[in-house]
Amino acid sequence: MAETVLSVKGLKKAIGGKPIIHDITFDVYAGEVFGFLGPNGAGKTTTIRMLVGLAKADGGDVRIADISLQDRFPEAIAQVGCIVENPELYKFLTGRENLEQFARMSGGISTQRIEEIVRFVDLERAIDDKVKTYSLGMRQRLGIAQALLHRPKILILDEPTNGLDPAGIRELRQFIRRLAEEEGLAVFISSHLLSEIEMMCDRVAIISQGKVISVGVVNELMEQFADQVEWTIPLSHMEQAASVLREIKAVTEVWQSGEERLKTRMDIEQVSAVNQTLVGKGVPVTGIATKTVTLEDLFLTLTGGGKEHGTEHGGTRTK
Amino acid sequence: MGQSMVGLVQNETVKLLRRRRFLVVVLILAILIPIFTYAQYRSVVTAQERMGTTDWRPLLTQQIVDMQNRLASSRLPEEWRDFIKIRIQQQQYYLDHDINPMAPGGPTFARGFMDQAISMFLPMIIVVLAVDLVSAEFSEGTIKLLLTRPVRRWKVLTSKYITMLLFTSLTVLTTLILAYLISGVVFGYSGWDLPILTGFEVTDGELTTTGAFMLPQWQFLLMQYGLGWFVCIVVGTVTFMVSVLVRSAAAGMGIMMAALISGTILTQMASSWESSKYLFVVNLQLTDYLNGTLPPIKGMTLPFSLTVLSVWAIAALVVAYLVFTRKDVTS
Repeated sequence: MAETVLSVKGLKKAIGGKPIIHDITFDVYAGEVFGFLGPNGAGKTTTIRMLVGLAKADGGDVRIADISLQDRFPEAIAQVGCIVENPELYKFLTGRENLEQFARMSGGISTQRIEEIVRFVDLERAIDDKVKTYSLGMRQRLGIAQALLHRPKILILDEPTNGLDPAGIRELRQFIRRLAEEEGLAVFISSHLLSEIEMMCDRVAIISQGKVISVGVVNELMEQFADQVEWTIPLSHMEQAASVLREIKAVTEVWQSGEERLKTRMDIEQVSAVNQTLVGKGVPVTGIATKTVTLEDLFLTLTGGGKEHGTEHGGTRTK
Repeated sequence: MGQSMVGLVQNETVKLLRRRRFLVVVLILAILIPIFTYAQYRSVVTAQERMGTTDWRPLLTQQIVDMQNRLASSRLPEEWRDFIKIRIQQQQYYLDHDINPMAPGGPTFARGFMDQAISMFLPMIIVVLAVDLVSAEFSEGTIKLLLTRPVRRWKVLTSKYITMLLFTSLTVLTTLILAYLISGVVFGYSGWDLPILTGFEVTDGELTTTGAFMLPQWQFLLMQYGLGWFVCIVVGTVTFMVSVLVRSAAAGMGIMMAALISGTILTQMASSWESSKYLFVVNLQLTDYLNGTLPPIKGMTLPFSLTVLSVWAIAALVVAYLVFTRKDVTS
């Protein structure tokens, strides 16, 4: 098992007497990208603030590389690189002067290391310009440079793709994968976008209303809540349709979701092929509706808050 | 992880200079001192016109003779006698060394400038320098970068405080140098050895001159700018606390301005409200104790004012450290 770089146990926080975070617990290992998924207002940023020492926890324990953040803050935080919300840098200084500021605070960082990190984030040409002339993407890269400057063991990023264009997002995604796979860094990413987490992360913790409701490997989680297709079929052909569908490989699950309605869990790209098979076997298909699982569905399902989904899955899931 | 304080102070210095705070301060001084110099020059010219002569020597001689006549009078109390003797010595010195007391040199201007600037102008400049030292990090969001480094919060705040002390000291020094250099263009650069009367004491609300003595002007200036420096440090420390407590620089500026201005108003009308002497803003005019001006409120002495100012500064520091080390950083 890889080294546990970040261990969070029973983290609690109340703001103004109101509990915001209840018992958050998870571990992050070296070399993995860990997603921290939750809707806006679920407590992601509050949790991150506690992980990097910006806010004090009311209870629980945060250990970074097995060093307690509460008891030995400087040693623990030296292992962390972070960008909380936007990468706010000193706009009136140049990129290099910014990095020099952080180098002096971390200690033991050579000029060569600064050069190296500037090359790593591909900012060589702009590094001596003032940060106020930088584009958002460049600021993001300088932000990453400052986060990686002191060779941390874990990189904590809060909604890193906010405000980036699609090309920037793709670039960031590849960059993060590379950090984890090649440098063995643990990367902790918060997001409210399921697709983003799906593409970047190995494991994910899902939080809602200040509680972790599920921690797991992303693929498994996604399989569990894969895309669904709803077929409208006359009552007279229901039985036949169900048996045909069950024999098709692309379909993983079939259940009746209403009168004249059959639902399948399957790869959406296979819809037309499955439809052809059904029609070929003499099943009159009168309607097809594809439904992509959204994060909201997932939350509703996991928290049991969604009536429709709750009964569907609860009542008909067969393994 | 003991990051050197020198490195942290270097960081703060770079930021303060690159935010052009010190440049603004020097510019304010470089613009206002020539204006004051001109005003002083006009008042000298006007005084000469009133006398109807530019020759000041007969006038001074006349004053000395007048005072000697008063000394001869037997009705004069003993303590007055000593004081007048010192005054005569002073005037005689001017005459002997060919110094026109009406047309001051650079050092005399610098002395007058500190008298005027100590309770309002200099404190305001220090407020400009220190008001966003901490709050700017919060309003620009860079506090998140500052506090997620392997440095304890108290060390971060200490580096900022040391930087404030450095630049406050530099400001007072710059004030002296600029006041001397700029006014010297008009009034000349001599006068360091000019004898200045000091040593007055206040007992029971009366000014006593028994302890009065003469001091060369350079020594007097040293004492005066030392007191000015102390006032600036205290105002800087209180501003520093405001900077920790208030996130917006404009609000911080407003609070400090209001405090300083109300201090000026109170010193003018507070003789009936005695306990206002415990407010720091009422105790800023420290140079008055050297000049022998009666204090605005009964019971105020130099040690009293120094104590009040020190207590305020220490209390402000305690509040600043307590709040800064405990505060959660929110967006």
